[in-house]
Amino acid sequence: MDFNYTDEERKFRFELRDWLASALPAGWGDTVFEPEDEEERYLFRRDWDKKLSSGGWSGINWPVEYGGRGATLVERGIFAEEMARAKAPESLNIIGHNLAGTTILHHGTQAQKDRFLPPIIANDEIWCQGFSEPNAGSDLASVRTKAVRHGDKYIVNGQKIWTSYAQYSQWCFALVRTDVDAPKHKGLSFLLIDMKSPGILIRPLRQISGESEFNETFFEDVEVPVENLVGEENDGWRIAMTTLAYERGPEDCLGRQVRFKQEMEKLLEVCSAEPTANGVLSDDPIVRQKLGRSIVEIEAMRLVALKSFSRIHAGDERGPDASVIKLYWSHAAQRMNEAALDILGPTAVLAEGDEDAKASGRFQTSYLQSKAFSIYSGSSEIQRNIIGERMLGLPR
Amino acid sequence: MNFLFNEEQTSLGETVGQVLADFAALTAPDPSRDSEAEVWGALAELGLFSLLVPEEHDGVGLAFVDLAPSIEALGSGLASPLIASTLVATEAIKRLGSSDQRAKLLPEIAIGETAIAIASAELGRGKDPFFAECRLLDGKLSGKKIAVAGADVAQELLVIARTESAPVLVLVPTDAAGVTITAHSDIDPSAGLCRVVFDNVAVAAGQQLARASIDALDTLVDLGATVHSGMAMGIAEVMLRRSVAFASQREQFGKPIGSFQAIKHRCADLAVAVEAGKATSHYAFWACSENSEDRSGAASAAKAYCGEIGCNACNDAIQVHGGMGFTWELGLHRYLRRAQVIEHAVGSRAWHYDRVVTEALAAREVENAAHRDAA
Ligand SMILES: Cc1cc2nc3c(=O)[nH]c(=O)nc-3n(C[C@H](O)[C@H](O)[C@H](O)COP(=O)(O)OP(=O)(O)OC[C@H]3O[C@@H](n4cnc5c(N)ncnc54)[C@H](O)[C@@H]3O)c2cc1C
Repeated sequence: MDFNYTDEERKFRFELRDWLASALPAGWGDTVFEPEDEEERYLFRRDWDKKLSSGGWSGINWPVEYGGRGATLVERGIFAEEMARAKAPESLNIIGHNLAGTTILHHGTQAQKDRFLPPIIANDEIWCQGFSEPNAGSDLASVRTKAVRHGDKYIVNGQKIWTSYAQYSQWCFALVRTDVDAPKHKGLSFLLIDMKSPGILIRPLRQISGESEFNETFFEDVEVPVENLVGEENDGWRIAMTTLAYERGPEDCLGRQVRFKQEMEKLLEVCSAEPTANGVLSDDPIVRQKLGRSIVEIEAMRLVALKSFSRIHAGDERGPDASVIKLYWSHAAQRMNEAALDILGPTAVLAEGDEDAKASGRFQTSYLQSKAFSIYSGSSEIQRNIIGERMLGLPR
Repeated sequence: MNFLFNEEQTSLGETVGQVLADFAALTAPDPSRDSEAEVWGALAELGLFSLLVPEEHDGVGLAFVDLAPSIEALGSGLASPLIASTLVATEAIKRLGSSDQRAKLLPEIAIGETAIAIASAELGRGKDPFFAECRLLDGKLSGKKIAVAGADVAQELLVIARTESAPVLVLVPTDAAGVTITAHSDIDPSAGLCRVVFDNVAVAAGQQLARASIDALDTLVDLGATVHSGMAMGIAEVMLRRSVAFASQREQFGKPIGSFQAIKHRCADLAVAVEAGKATSHYAFWACSENSEDRSGAASAAKAYCGEIGCNACNDAIQVHGGMGFTWELGLHRYLRRAQVIEHAVGSRAWHYDRVVTEALAAREVENAAHRDAA
């Protein structure tokens, strides 16, 4: 076991650190922040994504032949740490990078890789995930959206729901039914769908937090060329499992940990400045217990992800340990968000836009957003089933 | 960077586990210390006590982190805490001792002749492992320590005391005049917890660990906290394994109870806690080994978090086992008892979470200062 970095890795870190210092606006994180308006924030993040890719900091551990950096998983970890340190903005195209790209890399044809990977790395094409349907959530294999083959096209009809970022996306990967008579896991296929295709209707859904990141997506006689089928027809479930392994995997966890760590730092900042009857909030022993535990859990998130990187590096398959990671971060982060409000006392209820809100109300927004963590990417109950049955071998 | 143990580190841990498994009494329902001397002998023969001792003092010269899997095995096997405290003291003497102290003690430790109990806790001092009422004045040590594991069979005591002005670490032979050691009546009779009273015990200058200072205390606490985090994870691991095994085999309502989600999910949550706890503990071992900047924060994080996970794992295991879990005969109580001893050694959970915050705020200060300098 060795946490020391090689000269090469250190060089990577400092190169990135320098680049970030020059690429982010002056005063970033101190006086300059992301726009609060959803639309403006979208534009801001899109620009940032572009900046990352033109600087060569996109697709860190993807093959060079598709425009990636060809870096190691260790460097991928360093990348996440440095993004946290610089409080860098979130990417809009997480689904493209972590899910679409990785799945195409594993199962795509050469033509699909050549067509789809470079624009993801360049952040020219944003992706969304068309898995869930009104009647197929946890029981994902029961999706009903149908794709029927006509010559060199599939004709897609049906409805997806909770499709995050569909409104910004150029592409959607979808799990669709191609054989209605086969057992439910055996009649599914994995299609790449151009969001500009005629027959796609997107209807935004408003979330707990008031924002509208996710949508209902309707497909009416949407034509998809057969070359956009990933893997074999009716082998979509297997392909989707790869997607899910990445969706729940260490890369995703590290990316999020970056945000949670920033949140924690902000909380520490508020606590060490906020006066109380006899000092500041961070002097209060009860506050300190809550802070201490969250600090430990946010750090453990990073360590759990790094451990998984090391296992993958040593040749282990991505398996149920992705579920361990997902289950851990979702609840640890929720606990931090709960702790934040608990600690803030009477100002806990003051949100974005109020002059007395702490840290511009970000803890309140995060608290609301955090409720999704234990639902999406497979709910916590589903993760526990997977861990119980596939990792621990408990009976079904 | 690699966060996995190598072949040597792993197999060392497995070997320690196998040696302990030969002594059924260690984990038997009746807590006893009957096999303690024999176990000590077997581990000494294996060379466990020579591992941390530098080669120049007849040891193997391994790093602290190399022992992490072995320490977990000590926890799983409910080995006497004196074994762990001797390893902690070995590392402390190696780092803090004068050349005379190192030359005298380390070779004796390496062959298993010197066991060292660590005397830190006192009455009326809350949870702070640093604070000592035990006084060293004019070369005489007086005061009272409690919950000193293995003091009655150890050769030496490593004592946290203070002079008029400063904390000190002193090494006192257990047979020195004025030292009285009595066994506690305690929650885990196999841990050998003792009350140690010092009544004007003569302490020569050479018995003070050189370079004793707040830093030295930090070192001792960090090493001790980390080792205890490892033992707690050893316990958590056994609790997970036993819960899963029982849940797979015990049937109710015509099905294995492990098929009920309430049980399955409890086991899954425990598995997640074990993963997170181990990652935290392993990192602390590394941070101690390297003396990294975040050593104290990492050690306290590990002690607080793993202590909590160890105790909760015992609760879960007992619940999963139902009435059987509450029986004396099944022996789960042995782990529950030991988990409490571990939890309260070297500072409790609350003290360590508090120290995590102190360290985080200090790191923020450093970071902010660097930021200001850069601007
Ligand atoms: C913010 C957000 C963004 C999302 N983005 C996307 C996206 O981009 N693309 C996409 O395809 N999907 C997306 N989803 C959908 C998400 O994957 C589903 O919501 C999730 O899989 C749960 O499905 P469901 O909502 O139908 O709930 P249900 O499956 O109906 O579950 C309801 C409750 O029942 C429990 N439950 C269900 N089955 C079991 C079982 N076998 N055992 C025990 N408990 C069970 C669940 O855990 C949950 O608590 C998103 C969801 C959210 C909240």
